[in-house]
Amino acid sequence: MTDLSRRDILKLFRAGFLYLSGALAFGGLLRFLDFDPNPAPKTEFDLGPAADYPLNTRTFLSDPPAVLLHTKKGFSALSLVCTHLGCTVEHNSDGFSCPCHASRFDADGNVTHGPADKSLHSLRMEISKDDRLILHLD
Amino acid sequence: MRRLLTLSSFLFLLTFLLVWWMNSRALKPVELIPTLTGESEYCLTCHADLPEISASHPVKTFGCVSCHGGERLALDADLAHSTMRGGANPSDLSVVEASCGGTNCHSGSEAENRNHIQRVTTSVQSTYAGAIANIRFTFGAQTDLNAHFGINAVTDDETRTGITSLSTFDPSSEVNPFIKEFGKNCLTCHLNATPREGDVYARQTGCAACHTPLFDSPPIFGENGGSQKGVHTLTTAIPYTQCNACHNRGNYDLRTMTFDERADQPTNRLQGYYQPIAQFTKCEYTLDCVDCHTRSEVMGDGDIHANQKDIQYVQCKTCHGTPTELPLTKTLTDPNDIVFTLAFLNPVIDLKLGDTILITEKGEPLWNIRALSDGTYEMFGKATSQYFTFNPVMGSSCTQTGEDQSSSYCHGCHAVER
Repeated sequence: MTDLSRRDILKLFRAGFLYLSGALAFGGLLRFLDFDPNPAPKTEFDLGPAADYPLNTRTFLSDPPAVLLHTKKGFSALSLVCTHLGCTVEHNSDGFSCPCHASRFDADGNVTHGPADKSLHSLRMEISKDDRLILHLD
Repeated sequence: MRRLLTLSSFLFLLTFLLVWWMNSRALKPVELIPTLTGESEYCLTCHADLPEISASHPVKTFGCVSCHGGERLALDADLAHSTMRGGANPSDLSVVEASCGGTNCHSGSEAENRNHIQRVTTSVQSTYAGAIANIRFTFGAQTDLNAHFGINAVTDDETRTGITSLSTFDPSSEVNPFIKEFGKNCLTCHLNATPREGDVYARQTGCAACHTPLFDSPPIFGENGGSQKGVHTLTTAIPYTQCNACHNRGNYDLRTMTFDERADQPTNRLQGYYQPIAQFTKCEYTLDCVDCHTRSEVMGDGDIHANQKDIQYVQCKTCHGTPTELPLTKTLTDPNDIVFTLAFLNPVIDLKLGDTILITEKGEPLWNIRALSDGTYEMFGKATSQYFTFNPVMGSSCTQTGEDQSSSYCHGCHAVER
């Protein structure tokens, strides 16, 4: 093992300072450029393997608020966002009801009581090549 | 050169560490993307501690900016607040249409009684038309008691009462000094007036004058570290204390055109409900104003009215009937009846299809009063949730005629001593 001279140690520190400050400056610049204060809302959600959702089941999702149905016809999803002003509707024995302004929907999402005047939106589902469920909001 | 480079990088590292340390102490931006707007806003960075304003306006759905305005992406308080509507009160009538309006919200809807903003801005609580007309008539500025002026000019081409417009009342253009003084001292009660100073007059303006009760509420937020009375809430459970901020705090002295503050210091509900000169029955001081007075009486019915008497109509007989007639009722058969929405917004009563509730002679529902099978009635206090039962006058020893049903007649027998 060779002895390091005082000069070598100073060189090492200097190089360390240089590389470290360069790396931090580059990282800071990337972070600055990467930060988006106004990002577009996410419209695509990976729900995991399709096998996790057995046939004849109904799964309630919190993000995005939706109910995922797996029937003999395949997968489908219904948005749980109230079509009146956007509150998240709650499931009950008759279908769904909105906790904000009392709109009600039947189990298929059709309006049964205003102020909402549109049915709950059906959401587009897709199964990826690796058998994962992808939910689209657009 | 090498020494300079080393020194520079050392200084850079020091600066970086300093910035990192300052940044670690700074507020972390809290992003919210409300469902209604789908646009990021950062208001919760500072205001995460505010309670939900109401179950009908959850922040997750509405965010802050759709009602309050402001710069949604700003983290600097001054910049963020610079474009807020109505300061801390977006319901001030000068900005209420932008804040609370819209066909899905509180204006422009075809549904009956959903045009809250139009109804309120033309109501006597906003126009003060009756008081202005009376004073101008009394001091000779007009030859009749008809309402010609309001606090603000309003028009209603579809009025059913005959008044299609009011011009703006301008005290400075009046000749009589009493009317000028009236303008200076006596316009503190209409909905958009800045209230008099003092806790007993504490209220906001616009919708929040009634729906954001301030009196006796704890101070929960303030700007610049100061304490400000108020609570971040919107409610239809309005306590009588909120109505008292305008209606029971004193009298206008017509000789001096000044406001005489109520001198006594009420210490309980019995003393606080009305001014000492007033008579009242037990139910009047036990209940809250909103338990009897209807939405159209308080918020207007969409028409421009000349004075309070043209819009206020609920009497004792509305609930109690007369010796010869029971109060009017309605059995609920329509699941879309507005009473279910009203009971949903203030769930003091569990209304069901088939229930029979009281209604006024104009057909307005008294949705918190239900007829019982034994011929009595049950009532739930809208502000207190208190449970009451009462009997109709019919079948009692009361001999009052159906025509004489103003409160003064009932007070003749039923007034409480105090």
